[in-house]
Amino acid sequence: MGVIALDRLEVRLGGRTVLNGLTGELRGHAVGLLGPNGAGKSTLINTLLGFHEPSGGNAKVLGLDARTDRMRIRQSVGYMPENDSFIGNMSGVRFVRYMAELSGLPPAAALERAHEALFYVGLGEVRYRKISTYSLGMKQLIKLAQALAHGPKLLILDEPTNGLDPTARQRMVQLIKEIRKEGSMHMLISSHLLRDIDETCDEVLILKKGSIAAISNIEEERRSHRNFIEMEMTGNTEAFAEKMQALGCECARFAGGRVKVVMPDALSQRDLYVTAAETGAEIRRIQTRRDSLEDIFLRAMDYEGGRIDHVSLPA
Amino acid sequence: MSVFQHDYRPYDGPTTALWKRPLVLARYGLGEAWGSKITVGLAVLALLPCIVDLVLMYLANNPVAKMLVMRGNPLLEINEKFFLGMLETQCWFALVLAAWIAPRLVSFDLGDNALPILLSHPISRFSYVLGKFIALTLSLSYVTWIPLLVLFVYQCYASPVPWTMGHLGIAVGMFVGCVVWIILLSFIGLAVASWVKWRVIATGAMFAVIFVPAGVGAIASTVLRTKWGMLLNFPVVMSELWQRLVGAPQLFPGRMDLPSPALVAVLIAASLACVAVLNARIRAREVVRG
Repeated sequence: MGVIALDRLEVRLGGRTVLNGLTGELRGHAVGLLGPNGAGKSTLINTLLGFHEPSGGNAKVLGLDARTDRMRIRQSVGYMPENDSFIGNMSGVRFVRYMAELSGLPPAAALERAHEALFYVGLGEVRYRKISTYSLGMKQLIKLAQALAHGPKLLILDEPTNGLDPTARQRMVQLIKEIRKEGSMHMLISSHLLRDIDETCDEVLILKKGSIAAISNIEEERRSHRNFIEMEMTGNTEAFAEKMQALGCECARFAGGRVKVVMPDALSQRDLYVTAAETGAEIRRIQTRRDSLEDIFLRAMDYEGGRIDHVSLPA
Repeated sequence: MSVFQHDYRPYDGPTTALWKRPLVLARYGLGEAWGSKITVGLAVLALLPCIVDLVLMYLANNPVAKMLVMRGNPLLEINEKFFLGMLETQCWFALVLAAWIAPRLVSFDLGDNALPILLSHPISRFSYVLGKFIALTLSLSYVTWIPLLVLFVYQCYASPVPWTMGHLGIAVGMFVGCVVWIILLSFIGLAVASWVKWRVIATGAMFAVIFVPAGVGAIASTVLRTKWGMLLNFPVVMSELWQRLVGAPQLFPGRMDLPSPALVAVLIAASLACVAVLNARIRAREVVRG
């Protein structure tokens, strides 16, 4: 069973279609939700949480229907919203305890979990201060703490690094990695920063204008293209390409002497130099590259209409 | 092991029933409301008339004191009119308290945009409003029907002649009158606080909602030469209702002969309007049309 399953999900708000027939299943442990501004990322999250009623189709979170099982979904989900959202008049520990109690924890357990969550995210020393006195980074962390306090099965983070300075961003990313490594909960992370998703997620859902542009398993993409090499060459590149193909490589030539090679595991880069010497070609520049999330994203942004399967690299 | 040494661990303990979640909101709401010294000050102030009334009751029921101190002063006559005066005094104190507390219950949440986080937990919008409603009604009960019924019980105890059975209607009338007023104030308070994010302005708006229609109603009644404009005058409407509930004689006979169903209909309409405002304002996300 997928963490999130979408079946022709359509959401209309204010008279316009914001999400248009989303279909797909997300199974990753940490799923990234990517897309340009206005693509529908936050609307999708709000729909999964039951804030918006789907106008068509269906969405399931942890096997629960987003239309009919709202309360059970919210019971199992921790949500960190994008914008400032807290009660500034409360101390950090009181706020997190309050949220944990709303999730059903008895008062004593909620207090204990609030302290733990605050120490876990690094706010232990300021937990008795009013939230209104916190810095922006602290406010992001208190939102994360309240989302974690009740031990959710799915953690939804909407732009978790929004507005953070580099140090605070690194700390947030590190925390997300730790939570992922701990392994007891799934994560859905929405961001327009590719780097954040690249560092923290193993699967990505890319939205464009309210439609799914791509669903991609980042880890699989990386594994399957770990020997993808790009070169700039001079000389007899045709002979070089033929020889490499004979050795079992996938090879493609482009204008300006650019050659792309996907090598089998049995070959190494040394074989490239040997083959070039044998065929009278010269390697001017060589770059071992993996298929980055940026490539996946840019390809997905070129997509127009039609149903999307899992994105894969061109051979 | 100390909490700061814990890593993250899933929670596998018991959870409370869903129906109890509004009580969490109510408990934290009460904490928020009564955490203010001004709230405590207002509540103490609201109980001062009760102490005065208690003294008057003591004097009225003590033959010696009645003879020596009051010498037949009509103030010492403990009857429907006496309790109506008490009821009106306490209910207007409740308005002041509601104007102070209601914005504290809701405006903090709206001002800091806490609704998305609050409503992402397993509570509905109805539960949220219910929790705040409970906190407000409990707070207002403290200065209205609770002290009034305590004084009624004291009168029953202190009266030298059989008094209770002949005047039970007063207790019922006071209780119903207070509950109606508390419910109306709670609806208006929460609706105004959800509409106006700034607390001080919300407090002022609360009084405006009560008294501005009264002025409009008075103008309408005068210009159109009709009695129906008085239906917009909440103080008059409530005074009439309380007087009829307690069974006291009319203070100004002939001033208003509006039927009781009309009074009830106005209160219901006002409450429904507040519910509509709450339905529009208490949302996790606002949808921008267009």
